[in-house]
Amino acid sequence: MKFAGLKSVENAHEESVWAVTWVPATETRPALLLTGSLDETVKLWRPDDMQLERTNTGHCLGVVSVAAHPSGIIAASASLDSFVRVFDVDTNASIATLEAPPSEVWQMQFDPKGTTLAVAGGGSASVKLWDTATWNLIATLSIPRPEGLKPTDKSSSKKFVLSVAWSPDGRRIACGSMDGTISVFDVTRAKFLHHLEGHFMPVRSLVYSPVDPRVLFSASDDTHVHMYDAEGKSLVTAMSGHASWVLSVDASPDGAAITTGSSDRTVKLWDLNMRAAMQSMTNHTDQVWGVSFRPLGGRVVSVSDDKSISLYEYS
Amino acid sequence: MACVYIPVQNSEEEVRVALDQLPRDASDILDILKAEQAPLDLWLIIAREYFKQGKVEQFRQILEEGSSPEIDEYYADVRYERIAILNALGVYYTYLGKIETKQREKEEHFILATQYYNKASRIDMHEPSTWVGKGQLLLAKGEVEQASSAFKIVLEADRDNVPALLGQACVEFNRGRYSDSLELYKRALQVHPSCPGAIRLGIGLCRYKLGQLGKARQAFQRALQLDPENVEALVALAVMDLQANEAAGIRKGMEKMQRAFEIYPYCAMALNYLANHFFFTGQHFLVEQLTETALAVTNHGPTKSHSYYNLARSYHSKGDYEKAGLYYMASVKEINKPHEFIFPYYGLGQVQLKLGDFRSALTNFEKVLEIYPDNCETLKALGHIYVQLGQIEKAQELLRKAAKIDPRDAQAFIDLGELLISSDTGAALDAFKTARTLLKKAGEEVPIEVLNNIGVIHFEKGEFESAHQSFKDALGDGIWLTLLDSKTKTNVIDASASMLQFKDMQLFHRFENDGNHVELPWNKVTVLFNLARLLEQIHDTVAASVLYRLILFKHQDYVDAYLRLAAIAKARNNLQLSIELVNEALKVNGKYPNALSMLGDLELKNDDWVKAKETFRAASDATDGKDSYATLSLGNWNYFAALRNEKRAPKLEATHLEKAKELYTRVIVQHTSNLYAANGAGVVLAEKGQFDVSKDLFTQVQEAASGSVFVQMPDVWINLAHVYFAQGNFALAMKMYQNCLRKFYYNTDAQILLYLARTHYEAEQWQDCKKSLLRAIHLAPSNYTLRFDAGVAMQKFSASTLQKTRRTADEVRSTVAELENAVRVFSHLSAASNLHLHGFDEKKINTHVEYCKHLLDAAKIHREAAEREEQQNRQRQEAARQAALAEEARRKAEEQKKYLLEKRKLEDEQKRLRQQEEHFQRVKEQWRSSTPASKRRERSENDDDEVGHSEKRRRKGGKRRKKDKSSRSHYETEYAEADMMDYREEPEDEDASMNYREPIGQMNDQDDDVEENANDRLAAAGLEDSDVDDEMAPSITAARRRRALSESDDDEPFERQLRDNTDELQDSDGELRENDHKSNGGAALDDD
Repeated sequence: MKFAGLKSVENAHEESVWAVTWVPATETRPALLLTGSLDETVKLWRPDDMQLERTNTGHCLGVVSVAAHPSGIIAASASLDSFVRVFDVDTNASIATLEAPPSEVWQMQFDPKGTTLAVAGGGSASVKLWDTATWNLIATLSIPRPEGLKPTDKSSSKKFVLSVAWSPDGRRIACGSMDGTISVFDVTRAKFLHHLEGHFMPVRSLVYSPVDPRVLFSASDDTHVHMYDAEGKSLVTAMSGHASWVLSVDASPDGAAITTGSSDRTVKLWDLNMRAAMQSMTNHTDQVWGVSFRPLGGRVVSVSDDKSISLYEYS
Repeated sequence: MACVYIPVQNSEEEVRVALDQLPRDASDILDILKAEQAPLDLWLIIAREYFKQGKVEQFRQILEEGSSPEIDEYYADVRYERIAILNALGVYYTYLGKIETKQREKEEHFILATQYYNKASRIDMHEPSTWVGKGQLLLAKGEVEQASSAFKIVLEADRDNVPALLGQACVEFNRGRYSDSLELYKRALQVHPSCPGAIRLGIGLCRYKLGQLGKARQAFQRALQLDPENVEALVALAVMDLQANEAAGIRKGMEKMQRAFEIYPYCAMALNYLANHFFFTGQHFLVEQLTETALAVTNHGPTKSHSYYNLARSYHSKGDYEKAGLYYMASVKEINKPHEFIFPYYGLGQVQLKLGDFRSALTNFEKVLEIYPDNCETLKALGHIYVQLGQIEKAQELLRKAAKIDPRDAQAFIDLGELLISSDTGAALDAFKTARTLLKKAGEEVPIEVLNNIGVIHFEKGEFESAHQSFKDALGDGIWLTLLDSKTKTNVIDASASMLQFKDMQLFHRFENDGNHVELPWNKVTVLFNLARLLEQIHDTVAASVLYRLILFKHQDYVDAYLRLAAIAKARNNLQLSIELVNEALKVNGKYPNALSMLGDLELKNDDWVKAKETFRAASDATDGKDSYATLSLGNWNYFAALRNEKRAPKLEATHLEKAKELYTRVIVQHTSNLYAANGAGVVLAEKGQFDVSKDLFTQVQEAASGSVFVQMPDVWINLAHVYFAQGNFALAMKMYQNCLRKFYYNTDAQILLYLARTHYEAEQWQDCKKSLLRAIHLAPSNYTLRFDAGVAMQKFSASTLQKTRRTADEVRSTVAELENAVRVFSHLSAASNLHLHGFDEKKINTHVEYCKHLLDAAKIHREAAEREEQQNRQRQEAARQAALAEEARRKAEEQKKYLLEKRKLEDEQKRLRQQEEHFQRVKEQWRSSTPASKRRERSENDDDEVGHSEKRRRKGGKRRKKDKSSRSHYETEYAEADMMDYREEPEDEDASMNYREPIGQMNDQDDDVEENANDRLAAAGLEDSDVDDEMAPSITAARRRRALSESDDDEPFERQLRDNTDELQDSDGELRENDHKSNGGAALDDD
């Protein structure tokens, strides 16, 4: 179990790169990489040689999140001005523009079947679900307010939803918020189930294990990665090792490892059997905002404030 | 059987007295002696016989009778015998005096002896035996010189007088002239070869002293042959055996000592040696008995000193330092010169050291050192004392010397290391490492403390790997290995994860149930704590927390472990748990200042201001105000309180600031090198506008703070940056902020990004300002103030672009886009403020929205204009280009023509010459009449036209700008209204800052009650708004600067707007809800 650096693109963007995802392969082309940056562009890359395929413009303020449809045909990008742009990956034709109040859009993820796009609703303290056929809002999964709080209380900003993750069976959505709580929803019933506790600082990234729909990994500013039994509401283990905020977490397709990106400028590979960091990549020189496993395995990509993209082989 | 015969008076008969059958009652004999008027020598013989048989009483009775006045009268002419009797008595009393230990009786005996000798002298001044006796008496009394003169008198008359020779030898021996003494003994032996063993003893002693050990031994053995019961010889031989320092020798020596003791149990020297022996065999009871006897039988100084020393040593080893000290003292008192017998000084020094009397110990050890300047133990002991007395340099010097003298003395290196640890960690580390190597080489176990120290120093230097190894070495084998082992780790950690509660000990119980032994020896607790601390430092918090809990599982009173757990919880923002843990610690020790300080800190984080202050007070009281952390925290509290009050009560503010300053100063006075206090003082000074002084302070603090992993002071970087900012040195301020952000926060601090953005704003770098704000928003998306600020930045950027006299259409386009964003941001914020999501003034936002919209409208026109201009420009350029092209073509054609013409002309000239002049003329006319002239004219007309057109356009542009201006002035009025609205609210602020700028001299001294009330009011006034802002200082001065600027400029609208904006940004800074303690503290707690 290890990472081997393959290629790095320095100055891939003009500014900090904040988001990355793999666009799955289609019949006509292999998998691609999609990155979003503070420079207001979204870029598409061929991952074999890290050649720039296309630069999409049209966002204002920085691009905070990108998501790719499981089919690999369409993708979405979201920026700080709270617009979500849905576009055709190959042609860059706009398919839809989803608008929300400011700071009510953060991370996004398509469900495994590709019928729904879940958007972390930031200040709305909810997750918004959009139908990917009609691009209508189909549900708003709200985090229940703690009882006894007046609406005037400023606590709602603490429930600011940063991250969202679908379970591999598509039945659950988990979202992480600024105050560290993780909320789990039943998608089919559009119902809040429970909170997962343990973090008290922002949870910026969440991912379900691809092999076990109960297991959820969370990355938090408290420098820890938690592994939860999302159904049993219990914390399975906490993993420490990062020196600063953990900004991003992704699980390997085989479910044996996870990778994390952190403000401490490292990308770490964690062995889930050992519950320990196996490797720490130090090629970035600034915060690592995104890490992602290729859905078919074998490759990992990371993006950073240092404007670079790095590709690794995972074996 | 020897007999004496007493002649019967007036007859030939004699009375036979068998010497071994002397009657018990001496009177019987005396009666006979008197009745028969026996010769005096018989008296003497009988008395001597009694003496030999140990019947001292009878001996004395006979001799006293024999020296009575009536005898004197009767035997008046028998001189020699009378003298002999007197001398015998003299010797007897001398002997008594010699063995008597009580001073008074001793004196009395000597006086009696002196009387007898004097009486003898009166009978015959020149009798040598009397002189010899006197000499002996004087010797016994210790008057060596007088004794010597007595012996010399005898020897002058008869240089072979054996007793005198012996006496003189003794004198010389006592004088330390051993060879002289030896000569005298030898002479005595020559004169009287069959003399008793005592002479050989003397010879032996002399030779011993002279270092001729072999011959000395022979002499002693000879003495022993002559007299097998000669205790002195036996003891001397035993001593020599013992000094041979071999096991066999010692055994033989001890046997001899024992025999000597059996023969004569009162020989002090033998007793001392026996005591010494039993001391080493640990039979302290025997030691005491023997030495006490020895002390009772001798008054010989050195011997007594030895005895006391033995006794002291015995008590010393038993741990009775008081008694040991007294006996050492007694021992020392018996010593004239320290070099004769130095051990008691050393012992005394040790005991005094133990009892804390460093100065006395110092003098004693120094005496030892005088005699043994290279004695490592003494050097180390002295070094230790100097450390205690605070004379570090001297101590170092001594220990270095010790380490140098014996480079294999691990202890010396350890001591040196311990000494250096506070002053020169590098050297300390070297010393410890040397000690470790030495101990390892010697196969000895390296003390845990040493390994721990090595680990700590590595830790401090940031060499975590080495530190880790060292701690692990120190810990050795134990439960912790199992806990940290990655194989079992999964179970353990998983179990521990379920109890983020931290207090849960189930893990260990289960571990015990699984048959593992959970054990933690007391001497490893500290090391384990350090290891946990290290794990924390290398971010393995989970393992660290397991170790802390292990410590607590076994040692519930280990407060620091609670505090570290609390610190971990605090770092993870789990304040509730953190407070619980601190309270747990306070249960153990309710006055533990660290715990109290931490609690105060937590309460502050929880916005519990009044409680926090009380807690800090308690912490301060718990240490009589000596705990600088608590004092600092109180200082910080006051500083925060000064700036926190939204209502800005100037008096209160001044009071708080002054109080803060006072507290900081108090800490600095106590600990001159307290960085945090210096930083605090700098902050207060900066607050008062004394930037140069505060800059100096901050710079020094910053320098001092670099170097140790335990001292992390990002605050001072920020403060320094604030000062640069306030002084208008934006470039430096930015650099400082950026470095701080990168160095200490991994670029994760939105607050510093905000500072940076503000600096960019002041430096009019709008895009950088915006980028910084966007980054900050990305880090802290729920902070709406940042969005507001970003809106302001975009607005400002647009306004400044529009203000430019020259701008491209692209610029204007991006301005429009930016303005659209700004409008969007502001209107959304305005919408959000309806939901009370944040504390913005709705009106203010609306003003911004309106203003941006107007600006946007204007900008759109600008854009159109700019686009049109661009288009026209493009057209013009196109036209110009085409014109240029045409010109070029024409010129080319002309040239061609010219060339052709000339060519032709040449041909013509050549061919036709003058003959065809007319034809040439015609051709020439033809050329003239064709295009050139007219064309040129056309062209110039065209040019004119172009110029006119552009002029016109410029004029048109000017007009439009005028129109712009008028329309803009329309916005201005509107905006001015808005400003008015703002101003209605703002005078308060202005006043506040005005007052604030005034010297604080007039501040009233409020007594505590008032202050308490004030604080309550503070709390009531919504102190939960916790912007801990050093920022305030620079922002205020910046505002002041701006104000001055706007006053000097005439009412240029944008200038005014700028000011307004600064106020706005300032306000928004003020509205930040990040609760971070920028100025001080924090780190101090982690340093334990």
